[in-house]
Amino acid sequence: MSKDLKSMEQEHANRNSKTFAEHLEQNGISRRGFLKFCSSMTAALALPAGSADVMAKALAAARRPTVIWLSFQECTGCTESITRSYSPTIENLIFDFISLDYHHTLQVAAGQQAEEAKEHAMKESYGKYLLIVDGSIPTKDGGIYSTIAGRTNLDLLEEAAAGAAAVVAVGTCAAYGGLPMAKPDPTGAVPVSALVKDKPIMNIPGCPPIGLVMTGAIAHFLTFGRLPDMDELGRPKAFYGDSIHDRCYRRTFYDQGLFAKAFDDEGARKGWCLYELGCKGPTTHNACATLKWNDGVSFPIESGHPCLGCSEPNFWDAGSFYEALSVPQGRTGETILKAGAIGVGVGAAAAALNRSNKSAAVEGRETITVEDLKRES
Amino acid sequence: MSKPSVEKGIQFIKAQIDAPVASFFSSCVHCGLCAEACLFYTETEDPKYTPINKVEPMRRIWEQEYTVLGKLKSALGLSKPIDEATFKEWETLVYDGCTLCGRCSVACPLGNDISGMIRKSREGFAAAGYAPPDLIGATQRAMEIGSPMGVKLPAVKAQIRHLEEDTGLKVTIDQQGAEYMVLLSSMEIMNFPEYLEAIARIMRQAGKTWTIASTAFEATNSGIQIGVSDLAKVIVSRIVDAAESLGVKTVISPECGHAYTAVRWEGPNLIGRPYKFEVKHILEILDEFTKAGLIKTEGMEEARLTYHDPCQIARKGGIVEQPRRLLNKVASNFVEMRDAGAMNWCCSGGGGVSANERAEGLKLKAFKRKKTQLDELQVDTLVTACANCRLTLEEGLEENGMDIPVVGLTEMVADHLVEEERGS
Repeated sequence: MSKDLKSMEQEHANRNSKTFAEHLEQNGISRRGFLKFCSSMTAALALPAGSADVMAKALAAARRPTVIWLSFQECTGCTESITRSYSPTIENLIFDFISLDYHHTLQVAAGQQAEEAKEHAMKESYGKYLLIVDGSIPTKDGGIYSTIAGRTNLDLLEEAAAGAAAVVAVGTCAAYGGLPMAKPDPTGAVPVSALVKDKPIMNIPGCPPIGLVMTGAIAHFLTFGRLPDMDELGRPKAFYGDSIHDRCYRRTFYDQGLFAKAFDDEGARKGWCLYELGCKGPTTHNACATLKWNDGVSFPIESGHPCLGCSEPNFWDAGSFYEALSVPQGRTGETILKAGAIGVGVGAAAAALNRSNKSAAVEGRETITVEDLKRES
Repeated sequence: MSKPSVEKGIQFIKAQIDAPVASFFSSCVHCGLCAEACLFYTETEDPKYTPINKVEPMRRIWEQEYTVLGKLKSALGLSKPIDEATFKEWETLVYDGCTLCGRCSVACPLGNDISGMIRKSREGFAAAGYAPPDLIGATQRAMEIGSPMGVKLPAVKAQIRHLEEDTGLKVTIDQQGAEYMVLLSSMEIMNFPEYLEAIARIMRQAGKTWTIASTAFEATNSGIQIGVSDLAKVIVSRIVDAAESLGVKTVISPECGHAYTAVRWEGPNLIGRPYKFEVKHILEILDEFTKAGLIKTEGMEEARLTYHDPCQIARKGGIVEQPRRLLNKVASNFVEMRDAGAMNWCCSGGGGVSANERAEGLKLKAFKRKKTQLDELQVDTLVTACANCRLTLEEGLEENGMDIPVVGLTEMVADHLVEEERGS
């Protein structure tokens, strides 16, 4: 028994001393495959093209970073999404590579041993580890509504955050409160950012978020030693910079005013815009329309269902999922609306100019016959 | 009617730029993933073959004509002009270095249809007089004789006569009210006469009426390959007129990739209205017949064989499952190629490349991709469903000293057909 434990510890130490490049090689991933991953990841993060090289060098030499994953008031959907494996990809291997020293769903150890592993990891990598949190934290009545090993989530977060280099809030619950915080909010749930004030925090919202976004953030952290650029809601801009609507393949129908009015009408069958069926795409920022889900197979709108807006704050309390957005929602004030109106006007004028430019080109173009193909040289 | 010129080329490209093209250019993040998807890049490792670079003239025209910044840059003399040199340089990228296989469009993480834009760019190159001479010749023959290879009706009739003498089957021409109208590609008439015989036997077994139109037996469309919509429209109209005057229910596209794309997808857009008949690829018909129990097969090919997905049929046409269902009925040792199905690699001769003599060297270089795929498998036989792929593959295999016969799937099915007498 003690021998087993010893050999396990030895193995753990060996793994810890391995670089990422060695880890990949052992798992049969070629250098070429690795460089391809770095280029596509650089593209996904919207980094300059030269960064692929930088990322390749940094990742290849990276030692296993310690990651502690705390799960609070959550449904494990985020873990499901992130560990979902399609085939052994480098994305999965990044997860194998990071030293996930504590994750109560994934780890083998339980009870006392598990808690010890966490304390050990926290002590050993104090100030350097990455803390990942999924789920919101109940604060009402001293936080007694969610406890692990007899301690409240509130207490656990405070302790773990103190020694973290950065905190990543995964899922809408950890990022913005999510379902537990929805009315009537019986537990007094709050997001991570309401409690942790002195550490860099990155939010990766979504119910659940896309696995690749998570990998991207970790790759960025390993390469540059810091979190990627974020928007005012703490989300990495590379993935949450555009709205679903702006990147939606059904956008052309919206622009033409062609809407599905019911889930079984002609418009729905023709794949028209789902705006009138309650699509929250125009107010939702996420990468679903470009990265898609399940290894790029599809995303809700492509499967015929409106976007629920799951990566935005308070999405549970934003009215019915099936009610059309009446006014542009979100972080807009009247001024922005006015500015928007002017912008629309300018845009429309430019578009009209281009349209006339284009129709002149179409009309001015003469019919071609076979004789017109040969150039005199 | 005016002489080809740079101005004309620019105007034609300008007329091709629509909202999707504008959004594609605005959303390109220069990630370069399309390069890795293109066999001309992977086999030459020359960055000029990066698909998005092939539409650079179109991008410049879009920027200069339709964007505020581009107009400003032009006004300040900062933008690169489009001139004779530009057309000359890009001609070989747009025609010789692209088979319109569409793999780049599928690989683009932003969903930009790059191969569609290359197809559109060709409109401008043809109008400017920068199309390959061989494609111009083929288009001329298609317009004047009716077929890019110069095949005339008597040649088809002669083939039908041979077929009738050899097999005792009957083939009708211009039969009013037949259920199916069968199209052929020149290559099938000239190089692969087995195809017509296979059709005749399968149709008789299925108990279906079919005919060949004397005015529209040719399925290929050189207008699409060279990129002149005006001519492509004339060519596709021959098929539409014949099919509608004969009153057929379904037109069957032969084992030819671009013919299928031309008549099924581009045709209705070219003539500006839906057809009064359906267009199906022969593989779809065979799959329907076997599913409905109209035809049965017996015996199995025992040779180790694989299937090459023609780009226009699989990636652009969505016909991926049908050939597999058919193959599994007639072959016991069918293995899949790496990247089979919608992401398969082009044979290297599509989109007019095989008809373009001067592109031969480049084509054979690009064929190395297929060679690599085949080397991994070590098969005895290669099956495909496109006459152009078939010819390109045969040439490539021969050049590389690989002794692998290439067979059309329709013929393979016909070889295993259970033929029984039906009361007529």
